[in-house]
Amino acid sequence: MPPAPPAQPPVVINSEAGPTRDPWVEITRLTYGSDRSYAWTVREQVILSAPETRGKMEERLLAALQLPGCTDAGRAALCELIALIGTARSVPALAALLAQPASFESARFALEALPGPEASTALRNALPRVTGRAKVGLMGGLARRRDALAQPALTALRDNASETAEVREAATRALDHLAHA
Amino acid sequence: MTPFSAPLSRRHFLKTTSLATAAAAAPLILPSGLRGQAAPSKRITVGIIGTGNISSGHIDTLLGYPESVRVLAVCDVDRDRRDYAASRVNASYGGTGCASYNDFRELNRRTDIDAVWICTPDHWHALIAIDAMRHGKDVYIEKPMTLTIEEGRAVVTAARRYQRVAQHGTQHRSMKRFHDVAEFVRNQGLGRLERIDVTIPPNNRFASATWSPEPVPAALDWDLWLGPSPWRPYTSAGCHYNFRFIADNAYGQITNWGAHYLDIGQWALDMDASGPVSVEGHGHFPTSGLFTNATYIDFTCKYANGIPMTCRTRHEGGGSVRFTGERGWIDVSRNRMSASQPDLLREMQKPGKAIQLPLSNNHHENFLACVRSRERPIADVELGHRTTTVCNLGQIALVLGRPLQWDPAREEFVGDDTANRMRGRAMRSPWSLT
Repeated sequence: MPPAPPAQPPVVINSEAGPTRDPWVEITRLTYGSDRSYAWTVREQVILSAPETRGKMEERLLAALQLPGCTDAGRAALCELIALIGTARSVPALAALLAQPASFESARFALEALPGPEASTALRNALPRVTGRAKVGLMGGLARRRDALAQPALTALRDNASETAEVREAATRALDHLAHA
Repeated sequence: MTPFSAPLSRRHFLKTTSLATAAAAAPLILPSGLRGQAAPSKRITVGIIGTGNISSGHIDTLLGYPESVRVLAVCDVDRDRRDYAASRVNASYGGTGCASYNDFRELNRRTDIDAVWICTPDHWHALIAIDAMRHGKDVYIEKPMTLTIEEGRAVVTAARRYQRVAQHGTQHRSMKRFHDVAEFVRNQGLGRLERIDVTIPPNNRFASATWSPEPVPAALDWDLWLGPSPWRPYTSAGCHYNFRFIADNAYGQITNWGAHYLDIGQWALDMDASGPVSVEGHGHFPTSGLFTNATYIDFTCKYANGIPMTCRTRHEGGGSVRFTGERGWIDVSRNRMSASQPDLLREMQKPGKAIQLPLSNNHHENFLACVRSRERPIADVELGHRTTTVCNLGQIALVLGRPLQWDPAREEFVGDDTANRMRGRAMRSPWSLT
C-alpha cells in the first residue's frame, strides 16, 4: 500500500468581499424612488423562471410578503409578480391583505390575475367588507373575471337604496358587463 | 348592411326630429343626442380630453374648420394646461364659450357634444373612449389606441355596441406615401415580399437610479392623472411627456412611434383584422430608476405566411418602415422615401393598381366625414387594436425574453400562461373596464 500523501495546509482565500444583501429581503424594504435594483433581481428570477420552478418562486414571494416591515412599495412589487405566476396557493395570503386598507389595492391587483375559482371567491367575500371606491373597484374586478356567482351580490347592491349612487351605478355596469360577456 | 354602416338619411333626419325647420338653417349647432350628423349644414361639436403636447396639433387643425367644427370644451387634470387650451379656443372664436373640465366624465355627459379627441397619456385611452362612446360620442383616439390588448378589444366592442365612429390616431393611414407603399406591396410590386423592418427612435431620456417624490403642484389633480394605473407618488419627471417611459402608463417608443410604422406593415400585409403568429425579441431594461421601459428594443413578429416584421431601436435618425422583396427594397418615413432602385418609387406611385386600398388624404377630415356619414373611418378601431396588439406583443416578448406563439383569431398566446396574463391588467379603484 502506498504511503498516504502528506496532509495539505488548508487553503486560505484572502477576499475583501463581504456578505451581499438578499434581494428577497431587500425587495420588502423598497420605497418609492429608492434604488430598485434588488427588486429587479427578484423580478428577473421570477419572470425568467422555468415553469417547473415557478411553484418555488411563488413560495418565495409569499414568504417575502410575510416579512415584518414590508413596505407599501415592496408589497406592490411582490403582488405584481404574484399576478404573473401565482396560483390558488397564493389566495389565502392575498385574501388576508385584501382585508387591510393599506394593502387592499395590491392584493386585488394580484387576485384579479389569478386563475381559478378560489381567487373569485376571495374577491366576492371581500365585497361586504369594503366601501366607496374600493367597493366599486372590486365590483369591476369581479365583472372582469366574468364571475357569474357575483351576480346576486351585485344585484343586491344595485337595488339597495342605502348604497351610494356611485356604488349602485357601478353594480349596474358590472351586471351589464356580465350580461354581455 | 349592418346598423352601424347604414347612414341615417337626411330625409329621415328631417322627418324624425322636431328641429326640422331649424335644421334647414346653416350653420347650426344641434344637441348631440339628436344625432344629426347626416345634416350637411351641421357643425360637428367637439370636446378635447387631454390638452398636453399631442393635443396642440389637433386643436390647431380643428380650429381651422370654423364652418364645420366647433370646439365646445376642453378637459385636463392640469388646470394650467386646460386653461391655456381654452384660451386658445376662445381667442380663435372670439368669445368665452369654451368650457373647461377637470374630469372627463363631465365633458362626456354633455349632450351637445358629438365627438371627443382623446389625447391623454396611454393608460387612460380605453376608459375615456368607452365612457365617451357609452354617452353617444364618436371618438378620435390618439395612438396607441390602448395600453393593453384586453383594453383594445373592449374599445372595439364598445364602438360596435354603441354604433360609434371611432378613429385611431395613426395618421400615416392618411398620408399618400404610406398608402402607396402598402398598396404597392399588396400588388406584389416588390415581387415576393421577404421582410419588413421597422425602426423607432431611442426610448428613454436620462434618469438616475433613484428619484424623490415631490409635492403635487396645486394645479394638478394627481389622483385623476394616475387614474387606473398603480399608485405612486408624484414626481415631475414622471408626469407630462415622460410618462411614456414608465410601463405603468405606456410602453415607450414601441407604442409611440412603433404604432405608426408597424401599422403600415400590418396594412401592407392585409392583416387589419388579424396579426402575427409568433413574436420574440430582447430589450435592455433599466434595473433601477423611475423609467421602466426598455432603452433598446429588438423584436420580430412572424406572420402565418412566413414573413417577419422586425422592430428595432435606431439611435440616430427617426422611425421608418422598409419593405424588402425579390425586386429590392423601399424605405418610407414621414419626411423621406428611398429605394434600392429609383424606378421602384416611380412605379409605386403609379395609379391603377389591381388591388386598391382606401385613400384618405387627411386623417381629421376623414374622421369628420365619417361622423356625418356613419361609415367606418380609414383607421377604424379594429385595425387600431390589431396594430396596438403588435406593439403589445413586442413589449411582452421583451419582458419575458422568450419566443411566444400568438393566436390572432383567439387573441391569446399559445401555451404561455404568464404571457396571457400580461394581455390585461387590474385597474386601481374605482376604475375598471366595465
